[in-house]
Amino acid sequence: MNVRVRPGGSRGLPPLGRAPLDRGLVGPRERDSVWWRVDWVILGSALVLSGLGALLIWSATRPRLLDVGEDPDSYLQRHLLNLGIGLVLGTVFAVVDYRALRAYAPLVYLASCVGLVAVLLIGTTINGAHSWIVIGGGFQIQPSEFAKVALVVGMAVLLAERSTQEHSSRGADVPLVLAMAAVPLGLVMLQPDLGTAMVFVFTVLGVLLLSGAPVRWLFGLIAAGIVVIVASIQLGVLKEYQLERFRAFTDQDSDTLGAAYNITQARIAIGNGGLFGTGLFEGTQTNGKFVPEQQTDFVFTVAGEELGLVGAGGIIVLFGLLLWRALRLAGRSPDLFGRLVAGGVACWFAFQTFVNIGMTLGIMPITGLPLPFVSYGGSSMFANWMAVGLLLNVHARGLETDRF
Amino acid sequence: MTSIRLAVVRILVVSMLLTLGARLYFLQVLDQDKLVQTANRQQTREVVLAAPRGAVVDDRGRPLVTNRTSLVVSVNRSELLTEPDKGAGVLQRLSKLIKVPAAELERRITPCARDVPRPCWNGSPYQPVPVVTDTTPSVVLTIAERQELYPGVRAESQTLRQYPYGSLAAHSLGYTGPVNQDELDAAERAGGTDLHLNAQIGRSGLEKTYDADLRGTDGVRYVTVDNRGTVLGTQRETSPERGNTLVTSLDRDVQKIADKALATEIAKRRTQTDKEGRRYVAPSGAAVVMDPRTGRVIALSTTPTYDPTVFVGGISRAELARLTDGDAGTPLVSRAVSGQFAPGSTFKLSTTAAEVMSGRAPLNGRYACPGTLQVGNRTKDNYEGIGIPGTIDLRIALAKSCDTIYYAFAQTDWYSDEARVEAGQKAAETLQRMARAFGFGREPGLDVPSGEQTAGRIVDRGFKKARWDANKSTYCADARRGYPEVTDGSRRAFLTQLAAENCSDGWRFRVGDAADLSIGQGETTVSPLQLAVAYSALVNGGVVWEPRLGRAILDPSGRVVREIRPKVRGKVPVTAEVLNYIRASLAFTPENGASGSAAFAGFPLDKVLIGGKTGTAEVFGKQDTSWFASWAPANGQARYVVVAMVEQAGLGAQAAAPVTRAIYEGIFGLNGKKAAFPGGRAPTTVPKVTGDKAAGG
Repeated sequence: MNVRVRPGGSRGLPPLGRAPLDRGLVGPRERDSVWWRVDWVILGSALVLSGLGALLIWSATRPRLLDVGEDPDSYLQRHLLNLGIGLVLGTVFAVVDYRALRAYAPLVYLASCVGLVAVLLIGTTINGAHSWIVIGGGFQIQPSEFAKVALVVGMAVLLAERSTQEHSSRGADVPLVLAMAAVPLGLVMLQPDLGTAMVFVFTVLGVLLLSGAPVRWLFGLIAAGIVVIVASIQLGVLKEYQLERFRAFTDQDSDTLGAAYNITQARIAIGNGGLFGTGLFEGTQTNGKFVPEQQTDFVFTVAGEELGLVGAGGIIVLFGLLLWRALRLAGRSPDLFGRLVAGGVACWFAFQTFVNIGMTLGIMPITGLPLPFVSYGGSSMFANWMAVGLLLNVHARGLETDRF
Repeated sequence: MTSIRLAVVRILVVSMLLTLGARLYFLQVLDQDKLVQTANRQQTREVVLAAPRGAVVDDRGRPLVTNRTSLVVSVNRSELLTEPDKGAGVLQRLSKLIKVPAAELERRITPCARDVPRPCWNGSPYQPVPVVTDTTPSVVLTIAERQELYPGVRAESQTLRQYPYGSLAAHSLGYTGPVNQDELDAAERAGGTDLHLNAQIGRSGLEKTYDADLRGTDGVRYVTVDNRGTVLGTQRETSPERGNTLVTSLDRDVQKIADKALATEIAKRRTQTDKEGRRYVAPSGAAVVMDPRTGRVIALSTTPTYDPTVFVGGISRAELARLTDGDAGTPLVSRAVSGQFAPGSTFKLSTTAAEVMSGRAPLNGRYACPGTLQVGNRTKDNYEGIGIPGTIDLRIALAKSCDTIYYAFAQTDWYSDEARVEAGQKAAETLQRMARAFGFGREPGLDVPSGEQTAGRIVDRGFKKARWDANKSTYCADARRGYPEVTDGSRRAFLTQLAAENCSDGWRFRVGDAADLSIGQGETTVSPLQLAVAYSALVNGGVVWEPRLGRAILDPSGRVVREIRPKVRGKVPVTAEVLNYIRASLAFTPENGASGSAAFAGFPLDKVLIGGKTGTAEVFGKQDTSWFASWAPANGQARYVVVAMVEQAGLGAQAAAPVTRAIYEGIFGLNGKKAAFPGGRAPTTVPKVTGDKAAGG
């Protein structure tokens, strides 16, 4: 990826690209290289995860596609196309002017809210959630994925703009942030997409925590959240299929052909992998199509069966690397905006990874969240790479401020 | 402040990842065995490769039961039930495809239970139920190609039993049926044999007795399947091993001759009338041909009979009802082996031997043969009350079948026994002892299942006492009640008196019982096979065989795995002199003028001398049972014993004897008939037969 675009120095910031190769300089000047400004650990782990995802999706979809007489590589091709688009979007987000991001943030936020409203009006229901807008040609958009990006950037902008000094927010900002988050959260709940809503909540809490919001607010929010959850179960707000998933989660041996089928099959596939796995494309459970939704929500089971503890554990380690670098970035960011963006993305990825892998391992309920970078799905891939772009942008920005 | 908050987030993230890692380690390393087993269980299916069942061939290696391949559609009900609509849609589609009403399909696959109407499924509830056999390749293709429309439905080629000669020797051969759950469970408990869900096992006759030999060893193919059961590949497989061939001593040609003779004579007899002008009913008959020297059975014929093909692929309700219908003569039951009938005078073989050996009737004695004889408080007749003037010897008594001589013997025996009982001794029961020695009153031990051969009945004191002990309360209650439901006054009185007699004296073995027994009447019953065994003993020097239909077991390459030999059950306690005397008395020589010889007018007795005893057994409320027990040649070593029986057909000489005559003519090739056995001699060696040639499939 050649990031030689000038992200615009119109606001008096030093230009990002110095085209070091043109000058043929090495040695101390290397710090100025665009290559240096890229956080290779973040980029590398995201790329490796996406690549692994391609292989796993290929392995999971081949037998299914052959079964119905279609091109066995079509999902792989689509995934690689999605990855390509994701990389372009990521590049854009990485190189766009840091200030421009803040300027356009309200627009992005509004656009994602419009998207979430649109999905309620013209969306399509898949697996019980009204989350997709079909745009023809076999493509569909899941606005809630983009809303995650919008929410992180939106909160960061709001908190950073309002804070007097760039390093902490006041208690008065909290209701404002909550109000801002409430709109997409409410819309997502209406779909209903509980998983995404949970990611929103966790991300909001993380961002508020890192923004320096008063601790009493945070505990108050957590308490309120618990009340809302209990009340929604008691009052029957949750749909029957959602309750069933939770029941299947709490009693996993209850009904191996009904609601607990997914959980049981996921565990069997993962257990079948053992230490080193059956080898790519060799998984009997995967080839047998026993695990439903195996290219999307349950893609981790392919890794578990075919790559074993080594491969599946490797995926967790890769996420660990990514999150470690993102949180390191949050700690080193010179401004509150950068810290909150990096921290927000980290919280989002961390929680979504935990919920997704946790559900395949039977320690979290099934909520229909994709595994970042690895699961098949365009919207998710795009949003994840936008987030990576944001991280890289913050990283580069941090290096610049270092130099002042 | 900030770094603390960041640390909180870091700790949270790290602990989440560690949780995932730990759980992953648990599932893939610590808990792995259980999950791998589950995985193997759900991804591996056993496909049974049915071993072709061995053939059953005759004494010359000609197939009596073979296999054929058929395209069979079967439905797995347990798979259907996992469909959202319990398989109703699948059955509808299948119904259209194979043109069988869906309701009928539903009934056929429903496991049999107390309240389930037939036809229902008798096999294991987990096994595919064949719903149609001999379907077309296009049906098979449709089902195979559109498996998503027909989950749980399978269409494949199966080997089915085939009976090249239809009903020929049906009762001996028996039939097969699908294994049931109890048998599968029993096999499992016994250490998991090769019995599989789809197995067909012998249910009757030789198929059942030699099931283990015939069945072979099914192969198993372990295949990998996907979530819908579609086969992805083969892991490993063991090939099926064809079952062994059963060589029998049955001879196809002799069996055909016997069947035809029986059918012909029965048909003829039904056109004739008895002395009261009634047509003979002749509802059933049997014929037995056995080799007295070896105890091997050459033909077992029963009328009415059936074609075991009806059992192939599952018998229908109507067919089964027809085969077990008493009004239709229960064709499923072998009259030759399972039928029990009063033997009449054929039984005098045993009585004569007993009386001579006990010293009551020396061979050189002369005895009166009055028309009637007072036995106890009843007067008993000779046949039609005609006696023979003066005195006669035992030869004439046997040849002319005088009953009163035997009544007198039995009466004397009875009084002696009563005296012994009075004196606190055991009754000698000479007649019964000899009858048992000849094989009457116990199962003959033929190599068909125990339930398919009758022991007959020889009545003695012990039997009557045991029966009375079991039933006396009923007799006494009936006597007290006095049959108020019977409207006819005299009949009511008769029944009441009978019940009263049974109540007080039913345990008694009376002199009349002894007299009845002596001439094979009263409660005495035997099967045609038992009579053949007894007459074999007469002509083979006294050896009582446990007869055999099986001759040898051959492996598929034709090698003899083992020979099946009839067992010697014992020797009758009769001297050779006495046996010779009885044989000579019953030979159809001109000087004997035997009662059955009329039926052999025109038969070349000078070439093949026949010996035989007729029997005409009276049955209460029915026409007489016609018997003829015979052997040939009677001048020299007898090679064949032939027994024939026709129910409700009058004199032994008039129905049964002509049947045996036709059989002898066929065996020896007399009177223009082609000899079934070259030179009239049955083969003595085991034929060489290879499995694939004989069984096919």
